[in-house]
Order: sequence, then structure tokens, then C-alpha cells
Amino acid sequence: MNRVFAFLSVLLIAAFALSACAPQAQPTPEKIVETVVVRETQVVEVPKEVQVEKTVEVEKEQTVVRLSGWASSPSETALLESLLYRFSVENPDILVKYEPITGDYKQALLTSIAAGTEPDVYYMDIFWWQELAKNDVLQPLDDLMASSGVKKEDFIPALIDAFTYEGVVYGIPKDFNTLGLFYNKDMFDAAGLEYPTDDWTWDELTIAAEALSDPANNVFGFGVPADPGRFPVFVFQNGGNIMNADFTDTELDSEAAIGAAQFYTDLRAFQIGALPSDLGEGWQGTLFGKGQLAMVYEGGWLIPYLREQFPNTKYGVVMPPAGPGGEGNLIFTVAWGISKNSKNPEAAWRVVDFLTNEASQKTVLESGFALPSRTALKDSDYLKNNPNSAAIFNGSFNGARPFFWGAVGSDVNDQMGKAIERIFKEGQAVADSMKQAAEAVRKALADQ
Amino acid sequence: MATRLNRAKWNEAAMGYLFTLPWLFIFFTFIVFSIGYAFYLSFTKYNLLSPPEVWGLEGYRRVLSDELFMTKALPNTFKYTLIVVPLQTFISLVLAFAMDQKLRLRRVFRTIFYLPSVTSSVVISLIFVWLFAPQGVINQIFRLSVNWLDNVNTAFYVIMGMNIFTTSGTLMLIFLSGLQDIPTSLYEAAEIDGADKMQSFLYVTIPMLRPVIFFVVTVGVIGCFQVFDQIFVMTAGGPLDSTTTLTYLIYKWAFRDTTIKMGQAAAAAVILSLIILGVTLLQRRVIEGSGSSTA
Repeated sequence: MNRVFAFLSVLLIAAFALSACAPQAQPTPEKIVETVVVRETQVVEVPKEVQVEKTVEVEKEQTVVRLSGWASSPSETALLESLLYRFSVENPDILVKYEPITGDYKQALLTSIAAGTEPDVYYMDIFWWQELAKNDVLQPLDDLMASSGVKKEDFIPALIDAFTYEGVVYGIPKDFNTLGLFYNKDMFDAAGLEYPTDDWTWDELTIAAEALSDPANNVFGFGVPADPGRFPVFVFQNGGNIMNADFTDTELDSEAAIGAAQFYTDLRAFQIGALPSDLGEGWQGTLFGKGQLAMVYEGGWLIPYLREQFPNTKYGVVMPPAGPGGEGNLIFTVAWGISKNSKNPEAAWRVVDFLTNEASQKTVLESGFALPSRTALKDSDYLKNNPNSAAIFNGSFNGARPFFWGAVGSDVNDQMGKAIERIFKEGQAVADSMKQAAEAVRKALADQ
Repeated sequence: MATRLNRAKWNEAAMGYLFTLPWLFIFFTFIVFSIGYAFYLSFTKYNLLSPPEVWGLEGYRRVLSDELFMTKALPNTFKYTLIVVPLQTFISLVLAFAMDQKLRLRRVFRTIFYLPSVTSSVVISLIFVWLFAPQGVINQIFRLSVNWLDNVNTAFYVIMGMNIFTTSGTLMLIFLSGLQDIPTSLYEAAEIDGADKMQSFLYVTIPMLRPVIFFVVTVGVIGCFQVFDQIFVMTAGGPLDSTTTLTYLIYKWAFRDTTIKMGQAAAAAVILSLIILGVTLLQRRVIEGSGSSTA
């Protein structure tokens, strides 16, 4: 009997051990990882030798700055830690405590703000940061910027404007992403097609998708996820918008939006496009790597993912093809903000300034994780030598709009996703589905 | 004499309170205070960033006029409870009855049946996500190509099945202890009266188990009304809200929305607790009313 129990407990342990090896969540920014785990605080300390040189002034009066953000991947965290280390060497009077949050970052941040225990410096996503500004929990940055000679013009206009509320700058964009058309070179070669260019339009996209699709073998030309982080691009390209200019009404039931939804969903109806879930994956990036989707709209985060997971997939990136209404793209960006409660806003600013200065941004760029928000890096050698990253970087100048829909943003996202899903899964008429979504958004707006 | 007795009594009471003090402290801070504060918040508009603003019953009005709440979350929660509670009660009763017989290796079986209950619900949820993935084990075995968790007609039933699978073990243990409390003399008497196995199960076991059944059903109903983590992990309320339950909607309002609706979420939580209270009272009446009053 005891033996049986021993065997069972081994089984149990094995089950736990195996479950611990669960595959990591994919590096897509919309993916929300489940549990909230605040990692052990890591103190970036000044190395011994430096302390010896400046013992007298350093040891007593170190200003503590707490800094927090989500940790999207270990290598990205390591990159930030190395920048913070460099900062600590150059600024021995400031002690930066890095407190990354893995999991539901916004939830963790907002509850810490409600409790008055938020970090001095933290990440703010473009999608919801305005709620922070509206409720006056952020430090205005204009004076601090002026104090160290940082100008708004140093940053890409679309980015710094996105973090300006009622004329006041509240966040310094740390990096950004746009969407690019990723295409699988081998699949294009096999089909005898020319590679896409920046001048492509919807027609060329459709023709290529058709030639590349092989539904019998679960291979499709283009990925059409019911994802509010992809579909809006088609609305912009069709000359429409998601919300009106002051975010008081939605335009999801406009002709342009309905036309975009028609085009988008037709790709799957004619079996030249597929949902990731049709092919058994949660994210189309994986299917692109596997060669089941020949073309996808994804951001720069797909580049390191492919390098690590699918090093043999040969691909290129161009800007998204234009539609009848011209170019369109989405900008995803994150900024550093400073808490209004911070006891040392000047010290906090020095940290933010360091992390977004040209040298730091160059390090970030060269690591390949994200694109720098400073215009000065537009002509950098790295972008010249990496056309894939350059396509994503230049996307920000080409009809791109921020991924931001106002105070009911999450409702707008929900409704857009559901509108596409209803068309796909319940066969609802496109116009009806979009109208239903628009009505739901209006109801949410009325309840503000 | 009398004073000494009183003092002894008082001392005993004081010791009693002293020993329960740590627990009482935790109880008042984390339960009584939290529930009271949630009740207060249900009458306010609160976005976590600015102080709560009292707005009376507006939160309740919004909850009750919310389409997602009325057409999805509420019916889904009731459907979930109505399917899961009877099935898990029945299955665990049958398992307990089987484990109460003198089977070979019954302790091994008992351990196997109980294992899912001691495993984290998140881990089990992830295992089920893999089992029911489009290229997962279930589809491979039965040669199907159903996208279980992404299909409006199947996703909710997969979650229900998983919950029955995980909770039956615990409930089986409770039934088992109930079964072992039934005096054998009753069975012997029934046997002398000529009752067969089935009859003694129906007329001895079931009536004697009534209090245990009440407990199991009550715990089951409360658990079902509060189902959250499995849904959070497996479907996040989708596809097309087909698995959105009350607790998931409360979570969505409280933490997911761009503009946090903490007050409205608290109002929905109060409504949920009233529903649970009502259902529990009703079921107490039904189970007690139909026979012995030992509960």
C-alpha cells in the first residue's frame, strides 16, 4: 500500500513540476498574463569601488526613487536593469529601486495609487494613461523638461502629443511600435510571387493572399484575428475612424468602418484568410513562424520572437498596404510617468531623463526590442542596416494614429472584437454587427 | 463562594476571548470591514484614482439596466449552477457510495478521486485548455476538429465539466464521512425487514444523509455562483460572452475597464450575495420541508 502511495505522490509531484513548465505567454502587448506576482525588489546598487571613492557624500544622503513597469520578457527586463546600473554609476546620489510587475499591470498600478503607495516612476500605456491625467495623479513634466533642456520637438510628434493632456506633457514616450506587413519569403518564392513593397494596396494584398492559400493543408494567405489591435488599421485605410475627434462618439457604424469590416471578414469568407483559432493557436505570430499564415500584420515584437522561436523562417516587413482611403496604421506606445505623490520629483525626473536620453534609446534600439521615440535616431545606422525595423519605425509617419479610443476605450475594444467575431462565428450581416457595436459604445459613453 | 465561582467563570471567558483574539482581529479587518466597505462603495461612483463620490442607487440602476448583466451574466450563472450542482452532487454521492464498499484498492481510488481537488484550479484549467485545444488530446482521440473553447456552443460546457471533475472529489469525502456515520444497525434492521440493496439505499441511506446533502448542495450552489478563476484562465468570458458569469463581469468592471467602475462592481457584488442568500434559504426550505428535520 505504501508503495502505491509513494508512486502516487511521485505522480503528483510530476504533475506540478510539468505544470510549472507551461509555455510562456507570447510577447504580444495585448496578451494579459494571469497572475499578479510582484517580483522581489531588486536594488541596483553602486559597486563597491565607486562607493569607496565617494564614501562621504554617498552613504548618507541617497535619494530613493521607486520605479515600476511590466516585465514582458526576461531579456527586456535585463536591458532595463543594465540601463539602471549605468544610471547608478553616473548618479551615486540616487538609489533606484526597480519593482517590476508581471501580470495585470494596470490593476496592480491603480490599486497602489488608490492606496497611496505607487512607485515614483512608472510605465503608462497609451491606451489608458489619460485616466491618470484626468484624475490628477501625475506630475506635469514641462518645467522639469525645461530644467534639463529637453524639448518636445526631440520626440516623434505623434508620440509626445499622445502623452499631452490639455496642453501639458505628462509622459515621456520610452519607445513605440506600429504594425508592419510581415511576409514569408519562402512561401512567396514557392508561389512565384514578387515580394510586397511599401506601395502595395488592398488589391495586391488580396491577389497575393489568394495565391498563397491552400485551405486543404491549413495554409492561408493572411491572418484576420478578431483583434481590436489590428482591425482599426483597415478602417483608417478605408478613410474612416474609430472615434470622432474629441472621443464623444463612435464611428464604427460609418460607411468606411462597415466597408473595412466587409473587406476584413471577406478574406476569411473566401478562404484566403484565417483566424488564429481556426488553426489552433492563440496568436497569429506563431502561425506565421510555422508557415501556416503567409502574411500577418504585427508589430516589432514579432522580430525577436521569430529570431528566438523560428530562426529558419525567412521573412520581410513592409508598411501595411494602402486602402481606398490611403495609408493607415496604429501606434502602440508606452511612456514613463512620474507620480504626483513623489517626494523627489527632481530625482525621479533625472531617472526618466536618463532612460529616454539619446544614448539609452540607442542601446534600446540596438537590442532590437523596441523603436526609439527620439527623432534624432531616424537616420541611425541600425535602421539603415535593418530594413524590417525601419519599416515599423517609418510606419509612424504614414497615416498612423495612436491606439487610444478615449474614456470608454475598453468598451470600444470589446465591441470591435465582438463585432468581428459575430460576423465570423454567427454569420451576422456586417452592417448589423457594426451597428450593434456602435450602439453598445454609445450606451457606454452615455453612462460616463 | 459565589464571587470565587464568578471569578473563575470570568477568567475562563477572558481566556476564551484571548485565544480567539488573533482570529477575531483577522475576521474583523479582512472580512467584516471589507464587506462593509464594499457595501458602502456600492452606493458610490469610484474609479480608484479619485475619492469615492456618493450617488445613491445609481450604481444598482446601471447594473440592472446593463445588457451584459441581464442577458449574459445572470442567465449564464443560473445555467451554470443548475447544471453543475445536480451533476456534481449525484456523481460525488455515487463515488462515495462506491468507496464505502469493501472494494480492493479503495484507498488508492479515493486518493485518485480526491487528487483534482488538491490541485490548483489554475493548473487544472491550463491542463483542460491543452486537452481541449484544436489539436489537443480530446480531438485527437475522438478524431474531431472542434475548437471547444472558441465555440459559443461548447466553451461553457467544457468549463462546467471541468468544475464537476474538480469538485466531486471533495464532495465525495464529505459524503463518505456522512455515510460512515450511519449506524449499521439501521441497515441490519432494513435487511431483516426484507429490503434489498437498492431499497436500503433509497430508504435508509438517503434520508440519513439529508443534512449532508443539504450541506453539499449549499456549498455547491455558493461555489457555482462565485465561479471565476476557471473562466478567467480558460476563456476570459468569451467567445462572445458565452462564458461571462456574474463574478467575471464584476471583475471586468472593477479592474479591466478603461474607466474603472468600482462602485457599479460593488453594487453587482451586493446583488450577487443577495441572490446567493435567497437561493440558499429557498433550498433549505425545500430540502428540510420534504422530510425529517435533522438539518
